[in-house]
Amino acid sequence: MSARVESPIVSLRDVRRDYALGAERVHALQGVTLDVERGDYVAIVGPSGCGKSTLLNLIGVIDQPTSGTVAIAGRRVDAMSDREATQFRLRNIGFVFQRFYLLPILSALENVALPMAEAKVSKAVRIERAAELLRYVGLGNRERHRPSELSGGEQQRVAIARALANGPTLLLADEPTGELDARTGAEIISLFQRLNADGTTIVVVTHDEDLASASRRKVHIRDGRVVDA
Amino acid sequence: MFAFLLASLLVQGSSSVGGAPATAVERQPRTIAIDETLAARAHLKVGDRVSISALPGTIGDTVIVGAIVRRGADPSEVARGDLRVRMHLDQIQRIAGYGDRVDRFAIATTPAADIPRLIDRINRVAFGFNAYRSRDIAVETSRTFQVVSRFHRAIGIITIVASSVFLLCIMVLKVEERRRDIAALRLMGISRATVVRSIVMEAAVVAVLGSALGVALGWAASLFVNWHYQALYRTPLEFSMVTPATVVFAVSLSLVLGIAAGVVASLRLVRTPPLVLFGR
Repeated sequence: MSARVESPIVSLRDVRRDYALGAERVHALQGVTLDVERGDYVAIVGPSGCGKSTLLNLIGVIDQPTSGTVAIAGRRVDAMSDREATQFRLRNIGFVFQRFYLLPILSALENVALPMAEAKVSKAVRIERAAELLRYVGLGNRERHRPSELSGGEQQRVAIARALANGPTLLLADEPTGELDARTGAEIISLFQRLNADGTTIVVVTHDEDLASASRRKVHIRDGRVVDA
Repeated sequence: MFAFLLASLLVQGSSSVGGAPATAVERQPRTIAIDETLAARAHLKVGDRVSISALPGTIGDTVIVGAIVRRGADPSEVARGDLRVRMHLDQIQRIAGYGDRVDRFAIATTPAADIPRLIDRINRVAFGFNAYRSRDIAVETSRTFQVVSRFHRAIGIITIVASSVFLLCIMVLKVEERRRDIAALRLMGISRATVVRSIVMEAAVVAVLGSALGVALGWAASLFVNWHYQALYRTPLEFSMVTPATVVFAVSLSLVLGIAAGVVASLRLVRTPPLVLFGR
């Protein structure tokens, strides 16, 4: 009998990220080592400018580290070409933004189906799956509505459904409640908890104490370093 | 046979209503044809009796307006204020005091006629006049209009080019406004090619719809211009035309510029890293 050891979904080893700011170099991350296990729900918290968003960008394969390694689902992503990174994000990572970024000319259903069209999913399948995802986030009756006809909370739920469209390994959220009032924010927090309970691995960057408290694990960042994981 | 008499002739006429009725023994007045501008100005209608003479105040011939003629679509007539009366050749010769003198006459030819050879033969035997092809005379007299037409074309091209640059700038600005949306798409894994394709398609649709709207507006404006000036100058001349060639040119140019604007703007954006588009 042998025990099967699963590798972490997210694995960062001694990651540094420096930026040039005029003649100076800003050390946004200074040797971060972090693992996120499958099914985990991690909140990255810390004061403004501490490196939270930089960390999320590296996990999201949007940015590359100055040094160190980043692996997502067992695959090194720290030196991917733009084309490889784009393909990787499409199939493995779902993004939820603070400002939703839904396309205004598309309906809720079409917005959710958009990443699937890029992934060459057949039209029938993507419409069926988009409708299913909208029902999952509680918007089964709003399929045909455009973003301008939806409230902020509803738009964020559509954005979450869109992030889940291609069945990502990892869901990343950057201040997902930042544009919402307390009641609507609570609905989104509840939705994230349900998603995690259903098996989605979530990493969220937030200042929202309620959202952070709803996570399974908090990672505190200060001055580009993990101070408490 | 009718001949033209330009309106240096004074039309002294009045309606036949007040005139003496013609009897069988009296010689029936001859008929004339007048153009509709003269008819409108002198309040004449078909059947009216008028007296025509070469000089005001002199006794003239009494004639009957037999026809009111609509003017031809000739640009040269619009600028001139001439009024036209058509009358029988012998009558016009007598009234004008021209006798047998003829300034010009036209010869109709059959389609198979060898015109250059005919002109050559006439010019060899004729004394005191020259023969010209009517097409050559038309070209000579319409040279002014050709210059005016070229001038209008130049104005049109300048207008189109200026509005095209405007369209280009608007398209670039509209795409720039959506840099964050495009950044979000790129982060979601939408490829550069898809982003460029969708922006270019949108630009093409906007350009075609815009040019279609422009053509419709141009057509409506053209109708109004023609209606106004045709009534003002009493001419069937078309002052403004939206031809199929104009429509094809406008739509094609708009489409090409729209696509160019879409390509330029989208390439600029997709070559910029998404994080820079987000302003981070």
